[in-house]
Amino acid sequence: MSNQVNARKLIALACIWAVLLLVPYWMPPLGGYTALGTRVLVLGLAAMSVNFLLGFTGVLSFGHAAYFGLGAYGAGLSLKFLAPSTSISLLMGMLLGGLAGALLGTLIVRRRGVYFAMVTIAFGQVFYYIAFQWSSLTGGDDGLRGFSRQPLDFGLFSIDILSNTNNFYYFVLFCFALVVAVMGFILRSPFGRTMLAIRENERRARFLGIPVERHIWIAFTLSCFFMGFAGALYALLNNFADPKGLHFSQSGDFVMMAVMGGMRSFWGPLLGAAVFVILQDYLSSITVNWMSFVGLLFVIVVLFFPRGLLGVVRRKLVS
Amino acid sequence: MSLLRVDNVSKHFGNLIAVDDISMTVEPGELRAVIGPNGAGKTTFFNMISGFLTPSSGHIVFDGEDITSLLPARRVWRGIARTFQITEVFPELTVRENMRIAVESASGFRLRLWQSREDDGEVRARVIDLLKMSGLTEKADRLVGELAHGDQRATEIMMALALKPRLLLLDEPTAGMGDQETYDITQLIRKLHRDQKLTIVLIEHDMRVVFHLADRIMVLAEGKMLAEGTPQEIAANEAVQAAYLGKAAA
Amino acid sequence: MLQLLLFNVTNGLIIGAFYVLMALGLSLILNLSNVINFAHGGFLVVGGYIAYTITPYVGFWGALLIAPPLTAAIGLLVERVLIRPLYGRDPLYSLLLTFGLAFIFEDGTRFIWGAQGKPVTVPAFLAQPLSNEFFFITGYRLFMVATVAVAVTLLFVLLRYTRLGIRIRAGTLDLETVSALGVNVGLLRSLNFAAGIYLAGLSGVLAAGQLGLEPTMGAGLLMPSFIAIIVGGIGSLTGTLLGGLLIGVASGITAVFLPAASEAIMYVLMAVVLLIRPRGLLGEEGMMT
Repeated sequence: MSNQVNARKLIALACIWAVLLLVPYWMPPLGGYTALGTRVLVLGLAAMSVNFLLGFTGVLSFGHAAYFGLGAYGAGLSLKFLAPSTSISLLMGMLLGGLAGALLGTLIVRRRGVYFAMVTIAFGQVFYYIAFQWSSLTGGDDGLRGFSRQPLDFGLFSIDILSNTNNFYYFVLFCFALVVAVMGFILRSPFGRTMLAIRENERRARFLGIPVERHIWIAFTLSCFFMGFAGALYALLNNFADPKGLHFSQSGDFVMMAVMGGMRSFWGPLLGAAVFVILQDYLSSITVNWMSFVGLLFVIVVLFFPRGLLGVVRRKLVS
Repeated sequence: MSLLRVDNVSKHFGNLIAVDDISMTVEPGELRAVIGPNGAGKTTFFNMISGFLTPSSGHIVFDGEDITSLLPARRVWRGIARTFQITEVFPELTVRENMRIAVESASGFRLRLWQSREDDGEVRARVIDLLKMSGLTEKADRLVGELAHGDQRATEIMMALALKPRLLLLDEPTAGMGDQETYDITQLIRKLHRDQKLTIVLIEHDMRVVFHLADRIMVLAEGKMLAEGTPQEIAANEAVQAAYLGKAAA
Repeated sequence: MLQLLLFNVTNGLIIGAFYVLMALGLSLILNLSNVINFAHGGFLVVGGYIAYTITPYVGFWGALLIAPPLTAAIGLLVERVLIRPLYGRDPLYSLLLTFGLAFIFEDGTRFIWGAQGKPVTVPAFLAQPLSNEFFFITGYRLFMVATVAVAVTLLFVLLRYTRLGIRIRAGTLDLETVSALGVNVGLLRSLNFAAGIYLAGLSGVLAAGQLGLEPTMGAGLLMPSFIAIIVGGIGSLTGTLLGGLLIGVASGITAVFLPAASEAIMYVLMAVVLLIRPRGLLGEEGMMT
């Protein structure tokens, strides 16, 4: 039986990667464009990072956009002021998001449930506020401009990822694969299992000798590093970073993607991000009141599809 | 030297005195039962030993070390494991995964973000051992939340055992079970005590279980210690009979 | 200088009182039902617009009386239809739901009343400054503080001495036991939710007279209320009261010395409080004493 399950998993995995690898070939004919695929990957990575905490540790952070936005600013500022290098900018973005998360994590790990959510929102807004106010550095409300992603320089040759959208897509896919592999690896490690343990039953976990607060802090920090990385990619995608990326409503979007896709599954948030991005893209092109449709989507998903799309699919498969 | 020594421990909740000046020593290899009517303070007493609560006054010494205000996880690392009155497991994980988490926690792999093959093999072997010991091998890949109450309880006990404890605390291990399940769990505890020479302290309501298992019994009533002794002594103790029968008569 | 300081402290107290009103409503709902009501700002705005709409017919005083209960009625409907199915589920869901509702409210008010800010006329005698020396204290501001004081006092009296209030307080501590005692928990939650939204509606009417109305104003007032609750200590209404006043005054004083940081000070205050007292000022120990 377990062999069958494993085989099924492998096939699903192969399908996912095949679909992702071939995006530049099937997306345009269907009326999309490759950049939309890139956007899905980046936001999907962010949603998966949120879900790393939400779905697998059972801890709800509603302020994760802050670390995403910090990643974006980190990358943008690095490109603008530090070095014209794409890889350094990614590193700086990830570090900025992750270190900020590590620091704030110490203040919030004792809270649980809605209270955790509330404190994470409030602290997330701190960074939104800083990005908004410190205009001399961040460009304030107008956002940070004046940087662009640089060619990937391998010494012998370099790859243009600025004007060639396909190249950039594959670059993002490569980065995505890297982070997702790390995530998957951690979730399969003994530490990853302690995360599940905390999600399932905190009291039991504690009395198995797992120092729960420390583990939540580590999971939180890791997820902030992933988030920072996704944010850095986002800055590269837009050649732009703005305070909206740190706002709690952005956090809400990420949580929504995770829930809509299915937060108990590893790939669910990516699916959620795809649906969300495509829907947003479509709605904003036909109505100015698209925000209320997004709001309606939240209400509908919460009331009728709490297990998310993958959750529904899985149920169908089982029955 | 005794393994566990509780010195004059009390616990107050506001004006309520839940546990009032109780002392106890447990020798290595002993199986001690704590009994008493509802509200006698048994679980509160237990919670102070396991670190769930901190005593208002008094000391708890484990293996020569004062652990009175040590965090729960650190007590586990020193060798104190417990189960709960209401079974606490990881319901949406399989029996195997439940045990695996316990085994890994005990072997200090908690913080590992990686795992080598040899370590993994060792953990696997230990999990298989535990499954065999509990008779749950056939149900290893089912979600614990779907199992019968007795099996969930057995899983919980085996998880505590996976920690290789030097002291095992069992809070009403047979609570809410039928006769057959009670018998099975009793046999399991007996096996652990006899074969592994495990030191156990348990709270229990079922007197058949208590008199069948315990080396010594401590009786609590209204937060105070009423009596302590061997099962025979307790059975013959008039104060105990009065407390139990008096309750029953009233 | 002294006058400037006084001006800003007074201003801070007034704003703080306003945060208190909003935060108390949020806190009520959070404590009993474990719902972070993201749409609270939305309800505030709706309350304000209802007042705006009915003022021409019933006057300002009539609007002050009628708009909050109307808002509460909408709140009751929302609770019954949308939030009730989510009790007992992961609190994440009610959070997301009210988050979505906030969008709908914002767009909805924009759709009905337009994106332009709307003024609400307050009675002429309230718009006058108190005196030349205290030009910054208009009658309306005093009136606002007085209204908040009355509303807060009423709320605390209600919670302390009425059966409903005692049940709400008990439910905050241990809902299961209250349910086991035969109290209709569903009804309790609905009434409590309505009470919270009533406060939001009242805040809306007051805000309309002071700040004017815009569809987006609710979202901006939400975060200070969150901070008031966190600073005061989650679970404690007295704490929320204290927290609201504290951040109001703190931002008032900061406005004198470092205007750019007058909003940031709230966050600094929150971080400091959490560092020193992780539970907040009055968190969790004495619930409502």
